[in-house]
Order: sequence, then structure tokens, then C-alpha cells
Amino acid sequence: MRIGAVAAKEFWGLLRQPQLLLLLLIGPILIMVAFGLSLDVQSILTPRALVVVEPGSEGAELFEEYRYEFTNRTTFAGTTDDLEAARQQLLRGEVDAVISIPSDPSEAITSGEQAVLEVTYNSINPVFGTAVPRRVYGLVLDLNQSLVEQGIASNIGDIRSAREQVNYLDRQIENANATAEALTSEEGRTVTADLDDSLSELEETLEVLQDAPNETGGDTQTALERVRQGREQLAEVREAQENGVEEVEELSGVSELEQTVDDLQNALSDVPDASPEVLANPFRSEIENLATPPGIVGFYAPGVLALLIQHIAVSMASLSIIRERLQGAYEFFEVSPLGAGELLAGKFLTYFGLVLGANLAVAAVLAFFLGIPIGGGVLAMALAMALVTVASLGLGFLVSALARSQLQAVQVAMLLLIASVLFAGFLFPLGDMQGPARTIAYFLPASYGIRTLQEVMIRGEGIPLFDIAGLLVIAAVSLVLTRYLLGRKKT
Amino acid sequence: MAAIEVENLVKRFGGEEVLGGLDLTVKEGEIFGLIGPSGSGKSTLMRTLTGYLTPSEGKVEVLGKPPSEFAPKDRRRVGFMPQGFVLYGELSVRQNLNFVAGLYGLKFGKRRRRVRETLEFVELWEHRRKTASNVSGGMQRRLQLAAALVHEPELLFVDEPTANLDPILRRRFWEEFRQLSGEGRTLFVTTQYVGEAELCDRVGLLSGGILVALGTPDELRRRAFGGELVQMALTGSPSQLSDSLEALEPLGRVVEVRQDEDAEEAVSRVRLVVEDADATLPQVMEVLNGAEVRSLNIPKPSFDEVFFRLMEGTNVTPEDAG
Repeated sequence: MRIGAVAAKEFWGLLRQPQLLLLLLIGPILIMVAFGLSLDVQSILTPRALVVVEPGSEGAELFEEYRYEFTNRTTFAGTTDDLEAARQQLLRGEVDAVISIPSDPSEAITSGEQAVLEVTYNSINPVFGTAVPRRVYGLVLDLNQSLVEQGIASNIGDIRSAREQVNYLDRQIENANATAEALTSEEGRTVTADLDDSLSELEETLEVLQDAPNETGGDTQTALERVRQGREQLAEVREAQENGVEEVEELSGVSELEQTVDDLQNALSDVPDASPEVLANPFRSEIENLATPPGIVGFYAPGVLALLIQHIAVSMASLSIIRERLQGAYEFFEVSPLGAGELLAGKFLTYFGLVLGANLAVAAVLAFFLGIPIGGGVLAMALAMALVTVASLGLGFLVSALARSQLQAVQVAMLLLIASVLFAGFLFPLGDMQGPARTIAYFLPASYGIRTLQEVMIRGEGIPLFDIAGLLVIAAVSLVLTRYLLGRKKT
Repeated sequence: MAAIEVENLVKRFGGEEVLGGLDLTVKEGEIFGLIGPSGSGKSTLMRTLTGYLTPSEGKVEVLGKPPSEFAPKDRRRVGFMPQGFVLYGELSVRQNLNFVAGLYGLKFGKRRRRVRETLEFVELWEHRRKTASNVSGGMQRRLQLAAALVHEPELLFVDEPTANLDPILRRRFWEEFRQLSGEGRTLFVTTQYVGEAELCDRVGLLSGGILVALGTPDELRRRAFGGELVQMALTGSPSQLSDSLEALEPLGRVVEVRQDEDAEEAVSRVRLVVEDADATLPQVMEVLNGAEVRSLNIPKPSFDEVFFRLMEGTNVTPEDAG
């Protein structure tokens, strides 16, 4: 009974706070809807790639011929012939990878070496940063497979035809060799000797006939010349018979034939002097990461710091004004000479020192005990943290000026934390988020803070101007709005 | 010179009129008490006078200036003691007062001195190191009063200062108010204890956003009863005293005759409303010649009774007064 009474009281109490219920129910739903609309895993896993290739070169032809292989594995960002400009784009984060195709890949392949695709990327993310190497590995695999398939398809017919010709020639040579060997045998010599005798007799007969009175001279003369010619040739043969098989083969042109076959075989075997690995994989990749990714803890530490700063600052600031307004202190301040700006400035100073001090202590612990890098130096890190603190406090004060109850302020602070984890680049790279998430991210100090602290701590760079501007704009707009809301007279 | 001057003040929230055309003047150095039932507009009037709310219509001037136009130096002339404890429970008594002294711009040396003086005035110096959440409700109210006084304001707004306090503490508060008034400060006090109106120099009775009565406690008492009271105890039952009562009529109006049930013999108590009680007393003795007068005095009816009688003349019933 008593439990029921308490439960009923709590239930009706909550129903009397429609704004709180709206935040409790609609807030998380809206965040999840925005998350669903904004997260494109394919985009995260498919890096934006810029291809560097020399126009008119064999490399350019190769790219055009195998364009699909390059664009299928990446989000193709175009081609350029200026490697340095491409690198600058990479450093500015406009593309995720630069793929450089060699101008004359055949030269390397024919000399027995793999042609090299040089790939450069610039990622400190040990989780999603591996997308470039993985994608490039797949790209080279696809390219090699396509090249080998096409090579085989275009040359296999020629090879077959040549092989048949060689076989035919082999057979002819074998026949010729057999004939030559037959001619140089004893029997062959006898035959040619007998043939020579017969031709000699025929010559004599034809000479007699030629001298005969009724001979008109035409046909007999011709026959005699042919016989004499035959005897000359037969004499060469007999001489070759005497000199051996090789002389016969030379005489019959077989050697010439053999030479031709040898040449053909040599030509057929004139494939690159390359290992099977090169033939099977004519291309390989050389991947260079311009950044040095830290370990998992090192990578997430700056993000955790940024989230921590934002959450502590927003929570403290969002509760500060609403608490005093609800307990009546605010009315007391209104009657006193204390101005809204002074009230805000006083709170700001304390919370700023407290939040920054606490988080610097956390950063020191992370650096000393977990070895988290602070590449850009403690001063730059502290400045970045100070900027995030200022923006977060501004946002917190604005929440406090708008909230109707402490529970509402706490709820908004929690929603901001969830939104920051999802949209501010903590879990998923900010650049790969789309749609509503990008818009939401512009309003979250953590979006700028995570990127800034990663730049300073991991890359050792300075604070990006865009992030400085973003954080200062959030702080200025929030504080001015809060000042206006607090200074507004009750009507 | 008037510390507070209000002319035809109207305050509306949305379409609802909470204060309807008030005219009021509070003189410098006086304790002005504002009484009225819950929801009569007391807090709204005080918030308008302190500048927390802006009037919908009419003119409000506090220390010669509309409070909505107060500069910080004007605000230093005003002190405010809100209804509840609005300071910080986690801070000590002295830290709380130091904070408020800082709000009013007291420099370090003066602040130190004033904090001590004020805490001694409200008898909290002994408890200065205790956190405010660890002192009693009465002490918290005194700390709140100290916060309103630490900067030595000329005009002090005090909202329900004695709410939920025991009678002894309430009395001490009023002694302190009287002391402050003696120092020349003006006090504007709202109270739910009608009897405390007696302790004010002047009293305003607010009902339904309208000031239904305004004057000194005696003036209001006179107004409630239509004159001054003379009270007497006569031997005999009311029916036996018909001649005596008839004799009193030329002197004033008999408003109450009732038999004293506790007495061993028949005694009637009679209340007579007259124009001037002091002047009427000898005449009463004269007309009652022959009747046995047990006692004769000029009573001061409680302000609760005055309040009830005054409220009877308005649209709001006394029961609503809470």
C-alpha cells in the first residue's frame, strides 16, 4: 500500500513534467535516428583516394584500362599529375589516400621486378585507419588478377599456333634427316652411282641423237641440257654423300630449317626473365603512413579527455544557475547590485579553474602512468583543454538558463554526452559522418576538442584554427545568450 | 520624504490581474506591515517594489527612483530578506555573510567588521563556523536577516520573516526590527501573523490584490469596530440588565452582551463601541449608577479580531485568510 502510494506519487510527479518526459523519451530516440541517418559504414571503410598518374604514359593507359579496379575499392576522388599537391590535399584531410601509378610499369615487369603502386595515407586511428592498407591490398590483388587474366586470354592463341608450327617443322626435319641418312648409306651411294652411270649413258645417247641428220635440234638439245644439269646436281649429292650426313643436310636446306626452328623456339621462350611471383603478381604496393598511430589507449585518450572536460563542465554549469533559481537565491541576487554578467563571470571563473585543473591532473596521470604521448607539448595541450572548457561551460550555462528543473539539466547534460560519443568523432571518424550528425557535431564542443587534442597530443601539431574558431564561437554565442536570458526582466 | 511611493499599481500575469490599482506611501523610518490572506498579492507587491518584477501599469518609486531603473549604487541602499532560506547550506555562517557582503561591494576591512557586527546583532557570532545546513531553522532565518542588513541598507524589505518560527523567536525578530527602525531605517514587512501588525507603525491590508485598509494599528482597530471599545462586567444576567443596557445606548453602541458561565453568580460581560473610550469611561460610570459594576476597562482587541472584522467587509471571507 505504502509502496503503491510512493509509486503513484512518482508517476504523477513525472507526468507533471512534460518537458522532462520529452527529453527522457524523445531525446534518445532523436539521437538514435540521427545516428542511423548519419553513420555510413561503407564510407568509413572506403577511403577517399586521389590517383597520381602521368598523362599519356603507360601508367595512364593502365589506369584507364583498369579504372574499375581503382574506383571499386575506394571512393575515387579523381586524378592528378602533381604528387606534391596531392600530398597537401592528404595533409589537409581532403582525401584519405594518394595512389601513385608508375609511368612505365612494363619496364619493371620485363626486367623481372614487380611494378610498384605507391600509396600514402595519413591516419592516427589504429582502428579505422587500417582501411587504407586493407583497401590497397585488395586493389593490387584485383589489378594483378585482371592483368594476368587479360594477358592469358590474349596470348594463349598465339602460343598454341606457334606450338603447332613447331611440331610441323619438327616432323619435316625428321623426314629430311631420315632422307639424308638414307642418301649417305651404302645403298644410297650405290643408287646415286647407278643413277650417275645411267645419266652418263643417257647423255651419250642424246649426244648421238643430236648429231643425227634428221634431228631438228630443239627437243634433244633441251633434254641433253637437263640431263647434264641433273648430273651436276647428282655430282654434288655424291660429293655430299662422300662428306657425310651434315653435308647432305646442308645441301638439302635442313640445317637452315633447324636454325629457323631454333629461332622460333627461342622466340617462344622469350618471355620476361621473371619469377612466377612477378608473372602472377605484376604489381605490388608500397604503403606509407605519414602519421604514426599510437596504440588503442593512446589514440582514445585525447578523446576521453575532451569528453570528460565537456561533460564535467556542462554538468556543473548546467546545475549551477538552475539550483540557485529554484532555491530562491536568484531573486536575492536580482535585488542586490550583482549583475547577471557578474554572476556569470564569477561562476565561470571558479568552474573554469576547477574543470581545467582537474583535467590537467587527469592528463598528467595518463601521460606519466599510461605513457600517453603529448607530442605538441603541455602548453598547447593546456590551451586546447582551456578552449574546450570555455566552450563547454558556455553551453552548460545556457542549458542552466533554459532548464526548468535540475533533473532536466542533468538529462540534457547526459544527452549531450551521448551525442558527443556518437557524433563528435570519438567512436567514428567525424569526417565520415554524414547528414544530421555533421550538423549536430558543429554544436558540440567535444567535436572540436577531440580533433584538437588528437592533433596536439598524437600528431604533435598546433591547435587547428578552425577548431579554435569553432570553440570560441560556441562559447561566445552561449555566454551572450545566457547573459541575455539571465538579465531579462520578469514580466 | 517617502521611502516608497506607489500610484495606481497594476500587475497582471497573462490576463490575470494580481494587483489592481494600488496606492501606497511608506514613510522613511517607519515599519510598514503588509498583511493579507494567501494569494492576496503580498509577494507580488514586494517583488515589484524590489524590482524583481516590473509593473504592468502605474508608478512605483523606491527611494525616489523606479526600482526597474536601479543602478548598483541604488541597490546598495536596499536590503532584502526573502521568505525562505536561500543562502548556501554547504558554506559556514560567516562564509555566507562574507559572500553577501561581497555582493554589496563591501571592501575587505569594512566587510570583516560588518560581518562581525551583523552576526553579533543577530546573535550568530558564536555559531559563525558552523555550516548553515547544521544550524536550526531559527538561526537560518537570522542569518538571512543578517544578509539583508550587512551592508547597512536604508530600506529593508522583509518577506514573512517569522514564518514557522516559535513565538519567542518571533518576538526577538520584532525587537530587532524595532531597533533597526530606531536607527532610522525603513522596513517593509509582509507577515502571515496578523497579530504582528500590531508591532508595525502602519499596516496595509491586502485582499484580492486591493489594499482594503491602510493606517496605524489603532486606526485599523477603530475602523474594524467603528470606534473604540469599552468593556465592562456587570452583576446580573443579560435579561436582568435591560435597563442598564438601555442607559448605555446614548454613549455608544452595545456590540456584545454575554453571561459569564464560569462565575458563581450571574455576571454579564458587555462591550460598548464609543467614539473616544477615555472620555466615555466616566460617563459610563454615571449612567450605570445603581448597577453593580464588577470591572470597567478599555480593551485592545486582538489584531486577529480586527483582521476578521475588516475582512468581513471585503469579498474574501476570513476563512480564506488561512
